[in-house]
Amino acid sequence: MDNLNDLKAIWLTAKTDSLPDSHEMVHIIRKFRNKKLLKIVALVITMILLIGIMIWVIFVYKSTMLSTRFGEAFIIISGIIFVSTNLNSLLRFYKLRVCSNKEFLQFLEQTRLRQQFYYRRTQVVAMAFCATGLLAYLYEGAYKNTMLFIGAYTGTVLYLLVLWFVVRPRVFKKEEKKINAQIEKLESISKQINNDEI
Amino acid sequence: MDFEQIYNQYSPQIFRVCMGYVNDYEQAKDLTQETFISVWRNLSTFRNQSKISTWIFRIATNNCLRALEKNSRITKVELPFHLPDVPEETQEDKLTFLYNCIAELEEIDRIIISLVLEDLPQAEIAAIVGLSHGNIRIKVHRIKDKLATKFKDHGQFE
Repeated sequence: MDNLNDLKAIWLTAKTDSLPDSHEMVHIIRKFRNKKLLKIVALVITMILLIGIMIWVIFVYKSTMLSTRFGEAFIIISGIIFVSTNLNSLLRFYKLRVCSNKEFLQFLEQTRLRQQFYYRRTQVVAMAFCATGLLAYLYEGAYKNTMLFIGAYTGTVLYLLVLWFVVRPRVFKKEEKKINAQIEKLESISKQINNDEI
Repeated sequence: MDFEQIYNQYSPQIFRVCMGYVNDYEQAKDLTQETFISVWRNLSTFRNQSKISTWIFRIATNNCLRALEKNSRITKVELPFHLPDVPEETQEDKLTFLYNCIAELEEIDRIIISLVLEDLPQAEIAAIVGLSHGNIRIKVHRIKDKLATKFKDHGQFE
């Protein structure tokens, strides 16, 4: 029993009666919330709020020191980098999967390469701006009081060192491994389509 | 065509195609659900540029391809070299064997054969996968040969 019609007959015996009926499905859909998407939206909103607060501070607290102005500008730049990158990924997320499998695989590969670039470059640049900005911004408030200066800078530098040398490499290593495996898998599937093209 | 009609007509087909791809009942149900979430959200933007079935199967099969990113639960079962002669196999045994044979194929082949078994015309399968009609014809022929060999090798259902 190996001809196609026999296979079709076997194929159609799959039980599908445990699938929800259409009313249940509509209910499931209405309740459905994409957690990953919500996380990105929350991150974007938080960053926009932070940028807003920073701009508000610029107008309310009129600093005379260049270091504070640099600090504010650098923090805002890092916020803009994070917002634009995440907004971009949100827009890509919404790109509907109505293209063919071949086009979709290309889209996925491109997305993974962009993610790789994000972890290797964008995130590093944004974090560098943010860290430099923070250190410069603190100077005006702390330089007159030695104890405060030492305390503020020790705390901030320690925090940045942990973030830079412990947290980031860990996340990067984990994500990079995952992304590389996905890229490899996607390439192998793409080959299945491209190699057989006449 | 409203959502309920679409769901009632296509959900069993989508489930079987997802099952052919992942060979995992729960994951196939999840993928079916994800497919209809996309259908629900985008039905108003569907502009009849393609057949609605092509549109839905594209969403479903792309979801399947994306499933590789979420986990590696796609079940590949090593087929035993010689299966003992069983007097009478149940339909369920035959179906499990078919799924296991399909699971041994490459990803795109799994999608193609699942669509073939759903009786989709080859031109439509070509539009879903993104290959030419000629390529699909060749691929279908090769996949059928591979499956036939597997069935013969294991002396199943002869």
